Amino acid sequence: MKPLGLPLPMFLVFAIVILGGSLGLIHYLIVHVLLRRPFGDEVPGTLPRFAIRGERPTTEPSEGGSR
Amino acid sequence: MNGPNPYFLAAFVLYVILLMAIAVWAARRTKTVMDFWVFGQKMGPVLATWSLIANFVSSVSVIGFTGAVYASGYSLMTHTILGLMLGVSGLYFVVGLVRRLNVLTFPDLVARVTGRQAARPLAGSVLLLSGWLYLVMQLVGAGLLVTAITGVPYQYMVWIIGIVFILYTAVGGLVSVAWTDLVQGVIMVASVVVALAYMLVDLGGLTEINTRFAEMNPAFVDPTGGGQLSWLVIGATFLAFFGTLFTEQDMLIRIAATKDVRTAKIHLAASGAILSVFYSLLILLGGATAVALVGSGMGVDNPDAAFPTLITQYVPTWIGVALVLGVMSAILSTTDTRLHAIGMTVARDIYSYFRPNVSDAHLMRVSRTATVLLGLLATAAAMNPPGTIIVLYGFRAVLLTSAFLIPVYVAIYWTALDGRAVLAAIIAGAVVGLGAQITGGSIGPVPATFCGVGAAVALLLLSHWVLGSRRKQEVALATVAADEGVS
Repeated sequence: MKPLGLPLPMFLVFAIVILGGSLGLIHYLIVHVLLRRPFGDEVPGTLPRFAIRGERPTTEPSEGGSR
Repeated sequence: MNGPNPYFLAAFVLYVILLMAIAVWAARRTKTVMDFWVFGQKMGPVLATWSLIANFVSSVSVIGFTGAVYASGYSLMTHTILGLMLGVSGLYFVVGLVRRLNVLTFPDLVARVTGRQAARPLAGSVLLLSGWLYLVMQLVGAGLLVTAITGVPYQYMVWIIGIVFILYTAVGGLVSVAWTDLVQGVIMVASVVVALAYMLVDLGGLTEINTRFAEMNPAFVDPTGGGQLSWLVIGATFLAFFGTLFTEQDMLIRIAATKDVRTAKIHLAASGAILSVFYSLLILLGGATAVALVGSGMGVDNPDAAFPTLITQYVPTWIGVALVLGVMSAILSTTDTRLHAIGMTVARDIYSYFRPNVSDAHLMRVSRTATVLLGLLATAAAMNPPGTIIVLYGFRAVLLTSAFLIPVYVAIYWTALDGRAVLAAIIAGAVVGLGAQITGGSIGPVPATFCGVGAAVALLLLSHWVLGSRRKQEVALATVAADEGVS
């Protein structure tokens, strides 16, 4: 069997690459489009504005401590 | 080629004028340092998707991948392309958490998971060197390719390309970069589709192309290159390319630029699907190139010359013009993104750490200055790149994956991990991975990437266990002391 003139293992590699690259899209369509699961940042303020000059947000652990 | 090709040269000039016009328009929309760095964190799904696609496909991909297929067949799909595509999908599955952390750069992320702000300039320095080396090598490839196509001497072409992308990146930051990327991404994908369609008609269809390609050498259509690649090497190459997706500065900057988690997810989901089809078509175009050139007696000794030869000598001029525009898009969309990323690394990860109280306007000036200076330095280096740059460039994928992939991304989810364990694992991965790469690319039969990643995993678990046991002892002693004080 030689789909598109390729030996089956090579053809499967092409198919796996396309499937592998599309995993995110498949997940997105099933979970967020069909099942309408939320993204986790819908509530205003759950994506905090980042401090430009690099100060840590107040909820961040202190330097040197365990996480 | 005897002299510059007027059609290709005209296409090149018109294309540059179009980009500069977009850049001037975009520059008016760049008002704050957050606009310059991360598009004001307002990038929508369409722009984010096409910007990522355009950035992803470089001149090295176009010339190098088609050249690799010309020389070795389709086995590139088994390791490099599969690693890259699964990397995009893998990043999709962690992007929700990364975007919610709202870090702007990869060193920000490292600082968050290690609990040490000093990690920002340290990781930033590694990424700065890595990004700059990548930029130099892109410019070298781009200069050679465009010289071969247009006939303009290399020393002029590399400076023309250099000045164009430095100008529009420095003027508008990520706003310029993203809007030019949108145009470049569409042109790039369209040109490859048109070229492959022409080749399919010219050579009698895909089945005919693949059959003739297999007749040239049966190993060309074998996933392991006819057994030339061991599964260990395939696995290590796969892992190295897979890991770079998670650890490159420009990927994190793009995630930060999206306006919300939904956009961040959409841009990776859509890019992964489009890129996986695009790369499959590009690899098939490489096979068609080999069949066309060898079949018509135009075979080349240097595989990297295959694609330029196809453009300049095989296809009709109008297809050649489309491919020149596609190639220019691949070149500029990758170099502008990398230049923007290293300019931001200097200002955001290094400069602002040492001078945390400077104004936003000051940081934007630092970003612009770093962008111009590092761009000029990369262009100058690309004129005649020293051997050390080429050697160092070969180390970057192994270094980034070995040092950062496992410790940083495991720590995002395993919040009980000790920050010191994460830091120790990063250092161990970097030292072992880089050491193995320097001393011949492996330790015994084990490739450098596996060595580096293995060392990072081992030290992450070991140091977390040791530090965790010590903390338990300290807590127990403190409890005993408190009890004695009470009694």
